[in-house]
Amino acid sequence: MAATQVTLSESAAPVTSTPAAMIRIQDVYVEYGQAGKVAKRVLNGISLDITPGEFISVVGQTGCGKSTLLRLVLAEEMPASGQVLVEGSPRMQPDRRCGYVPQKYSLFPDRTVLENITFGLEVTEIGLLGGLIPSRRARRKAFRSEALSSLRRMGLRESDARKYPHQLSGGMQQRVAIAQALIMRPKILLMDEAFSALDPGTRLGMQRLIKTLWRETGTTILFVTHNPREAVTLATRVIALGRPDASDDGAEVILDLAVPQTDDEDRVSGLIRRIEETTFPHGMKHDDESESPEV
Amino acid sequence: MSFTQIHAQPGRAAVWTLSWFLFAAGITGYFWTSKQRHLENPDDRVMPTLRQMGQAISEAALKPAEDDEVAAGADTQSWAAKINHSMLWKDTQATGRRFILSMALLIPAVLLGLHMGMFPYVGAFFLRFVLFFDKIVALSLLPILFIAFGIDELAKVMLIVIGVAPTIILDAFNLTRGVPREQIVKGFTLGASDFSVTYRIVLKQIWPRVLNSIRLNLKAVMLFLFAGEMIASTDGLAYRIALLRRHMGMDTIIPYVLWVALLLFLVDLSMRVLNKRLHPWFQEA
Repeated sequence: MAATQVTLSESAAPVTSTPAAMIRIQDVYVEYGQAGKVAKRVLNGISLDITPGEFISVVGQTGCGKSTLLRLVLAEEMPASGQVLVEGSPRMQPDRRCGYVPQKYSLFPDRTVLENITFGLEVTEIGLLGGLIPSRRARRKAFRSEALSSLRRMGLRESDARKYPHQLSGGMQQRVAIAQALIMRPKILLMDEAFSALDPGTRLGMQRLIKTLWRETGTTILFVTHNPREAVTLATRVIALGRPDASDDGAEVILDLAVPQTDDEDRVSGLIRRIEETTFPHGMKHDDESESPEV
Repeated sequence: MSFTQIHAQPGRAAVWTLSWFLFAAGITGYFWTSKQRHLENPDDRVMPTLRQMGQAISEAALKPAEDDEVAAGADTQSWAAKINHSMLWKDTQATGRRFILSMALLIPAVLLGLHMGMFPYVGAFFLRFVLFFDKIVALSLLPILFIAFGIDELAKVMLIVIGVAPTIILDAFNLTRGVPREQIVKGFTLGASDFSVTYRIVLKQIWPRVLNSIRLNLKAVMLFLFAGEMIASTDGLAYRIALLRRHMGMDTIIPYVLWVALLLFLVDLSMRVLNKRLHPWFQEA
């Protein structure tokens, strides 16, 4: 089944293939299975081009392969066939071109907030014994001050810098995780159900934050969510994965929508309805409907 | 609420009393039985009295060991010097030396388990072998070890390493595998290399649990150490206990056993305190 491609606004990103794709997913199949058993196909011939600066939301039912798609981009998983190119080249393992904010275990539990944020800078710029070299010690100070300013930007206090992750609320942890990822200035930010475990109020704040950060940094964002409203309110483009006709052939792109950047609630609601009808034809559980769509 | 119920909430005094009750009962029971036996037979050696044990331990801790070269003029020495030349101290030193060496040799075991968990080829190479090795009863290897390594220190240390290392390797391996994949991926996306992910993320996270695992295996370490010392040694706490058994020296054996238990308790306590100090995040998690 071909993906439905709709552009509702002139200002929305084009959905057609472009030569300057930041991420290019070409005819990708993913199968899981053990030797001697019939392999289960998860993704069935997915092709996507994502241009620099796009904010993409990937929606779909539970188990449809949204996170698998994200792991392919991360290079944490390899396709059975097809290829995933980031900036035109395939990758063998995750690297710093892609920042990553998972739903759980997003911070290192053994490090304070400040140490979590500076980890990437320290590991790449200072090294294990770099702290012994005076010039690098000065850089470490600069990293810490950058981390503190990033912390403030995320709406956290300086006194939180000394806390361990388990001493923070879920929302605060995700704010730190975003700061930790963005301080490395990745070209792509991958967020896997990053706000799913948060309460509606916190989630709304996080949505506003990520949208602001996206506008400021221009980072390409791939945001996996099961919530159509969140997908539409955040993204410039929504990709829905699903199994056409409830087949066992794995998920395909069943909807590829450019989302207008508009405050028109009717248009937004229309888009949400469209995604729900296509992606959840048998209805969905509105576990977090109480959120306001205003972001 | 009845004290037999699940929801019973004993007060501090009750908890304190209950927790010491068995100690008090054991000590009272021992000395009462000992007194009865000595009333029947004043030469009884199976259950020495408190005075006999005090005298024996004083001789063991304050009088020079039989093989000590500085025995002459020992009576005029300071307390510290007396203890330093005593049988108990020399035995403790000998056992402690072997214990520390064995513990140090467990560090490579932790690192092997870490690498097995992190690097699939290392895991594939070692895992089956370690699983098999873990099933070998270490004490059954004693004759082989004594033949292969002689009856020197090496055989005893090897016995401990062979007895405990596979457990520590497998523990470290499982703990490594238990680190959420997200943490490892996160490390790579922040620019960490394989080395940094292994040592700066995973090892740091599993280390408190590894220390706990080693702590819980302390008794096994001592068990193998004592087996080695009892069979082939000329010094050490277990050697002394085995030697005194031949002479029915219960007045020294019982204090020695209590001394070993105290030492093990102190090592366990210091490891717990160290773990808590070094890893506040782990204790609070």
